[in-house]
Amino acid sequence: MIEHLAMSLASLSFTLWWLSIPCTIALFLALRVINQRMDNPIIKSLTNPVFLSISFIGVLLVSLNLSYAKFASHSQILSWLLEPAIVALALPLYQQFAHVRRNFLLIIGACCLGIINATFVAFILSVIFNAPAQLSASVAALSVTTPISLIVTDSLGGINSLAAALVIFIGLLGALFGFILFKLAKIYNVEAQGVAMGTACHAIGTAAALAENPKAGAFSSVAMALSALLTAIIVPLLYPFLVNNLL
Amino acid sequence: MKYLLGSAIILLCLVCAKLLVYFLNTHFPAPLLAMLFLLILLLTGLVKEHHIKPTASPILNIMPIFFIPAGVGFIEHLELIRSHWVFLVSVVIFVPMTTLLLLSNVIAFFKGKENND
Repeated sequence: MIEHLAMSLASLSFTLWWLSIPCTIALFLALRVINQRMDNPIIKSLTNPVFLSISFIGVLLVSLNLSYAKFASHSQILSWLLEPAIVALALPLYQQFAHVRRNFLLIIGACCLGIINATFVAFILSVIFNAPAQLSASVAALSVTTPISLIVTDSLGGINSLAAALVIFIGLLGALFGFILFKLAKIYNVEAQGVAMGTACHAIGTAAALAENPKAGAFSSVAMALSALLTAIIVPLLYPFLVNNLL
Repeated sequence: MKYLLGSAIILLCLVCAKLLVYFLNTHFPAPLLAMLFLLILLLTGLVKEHHIKPTASPILNIMPIFFIPAGVGFIEHLELIRSHWVFLVSVVIFVPMTTLLLLSNVIAFFKGKENND
């Protein structure tokens, strides 16, 4: 009797794993709808649907003592689709190119500088704190939109899931405190604010910039698109260079 | 039909990039190379925006779903996170702060600090 019960429980849990994909999609879409209803910009950044979905599923798996490997293998299809989705990012990038023609060199230069600074600061911190190589590779590509960060971190030998979480935290902090920082630094130029937000804080920062001022939002999305491209080119070259020459 | 053409172009870019990465034996991420290919095709006008838009827009709209499973992977590294949390917190604070201040000052140096809206 008990054996029979255990067997049916096992087959039940086997079936339940197939719910991984539909549940993930439903959870994200529901959280996004809730997030879109928020008017207050601070609450809007705090209820970021990606952040909440990842933490919810993470907490669920840990508290029920379920294996991540099983969840990952049953939601493999979603991870496979990330690759064509990254290729599709070329479209917004192309659409943004039209807007930057006038200040092209300045914005490209600023983006490069921002990416180099982010990688460099993270590297210096990992030297100061004596972080293991795997961790220092995980923080090398953080000033960029999550999918690009995932894939660059992977190629550097870091922990991509950790990078994804940190990228989202950086975006949240930027969205919450970025404009306070600009006020303290007495920078009221919306172009400067937008480019800085887009490069440092990607999509979450761009949403905050858009809420603050439409022109800052436009510059922010240009800078975000450019820094996605430039991170892909710069960081895989810069990080090995820093490791080989400064350690 | 309109979905097919866009998917074919995207997948073709991806396959070319994967082959190139494989034969050149580099660590450069193939999807990013494929993104560059597609961008070059768009900029040169070989591929028009309306060819890939029907496929690309819905994919981009639900893109965050695709990296949620990877993001959940952090639960595999809880021990590492716990032992290095000071480092991770300082990264999360200093990386955006320095980048924001540096970039806004650089642009303001060329364009002025005042509101130009």
